[in-house]
Amino acid sequence: MVTEILGLIFIGLGVFFSSVGVIGLIRLPDVYSRSHASGKVAILGIFGLLAGSAFLFPGTTLKVIGLGVFLLIATPVASHAIAAAAYRSGVPLIQTKRDDLAARSIAGTASGEQQI
Amino acid sequence: MSEFAQIVIQIALIIMVALLLPCAYRLFAGPSVADRLLAVDTITTLLIGIIVLLALVQKSEFVVDVALALAAFSFIATLAVARYLSEGRMF
Repeated sequence: MVTEILGLIFIGLGVFFSSVGVIGLIRLPDVYSRSHASGKVAILGIFGLLAGSAFLFPGTTLKVIGLGVFLLIATPVASHAIAAAAYRSGVPLIQTKRDDLAARSIAGTASGEQQI
Repeated sequence: MSEFAQIVIQIALIIMVALLLPCAYRLFAGPSVADRLLAVDTITTLLIGIIVLLALVQKSEFVVDVALALAAFSFIATLAVARYLSEGRMF
């Protein structure tokens, strides 16, 4: 009974954080800040659902732990790759105080000379 | 699982499926290619959660394997498209 209530609480948290992340994906102004919101969907939202599944249905616990570890490794890598691809393909940043990548000019040939 | 837990899980499943629509809006209306790639990545992440909830609804633990395979393929696909976008070639 206690595990069922805990599982339902975790599922509610997961759905809540997924909703917040998707709202951020719609409303944030920039591809880099949208990448931040997408990371919230992946880590907090899906981890809540996975924890709720492990509590409610104990047969899935091992698979859910494996999926969680894989997501914990794969999601930051994918998010970083998307942000780097956006920067190197020349998507402008908004509200920039300083841009270290432009100073180091490792940004490839497309945006290395381009002033952002 | 009790009846109440089943109802809550089905409501959560409906909300997660409804969350796919704003991501599809970002996929069609995104100003740059990176926005669309980010929307596809978010859609596959939401699909992983939907499949886990579907395993709870159907009371079958083998459905979670589908989520594992989808996570692996979406990770590889996102990395490949991001590399193509930044360097002009995939491999």
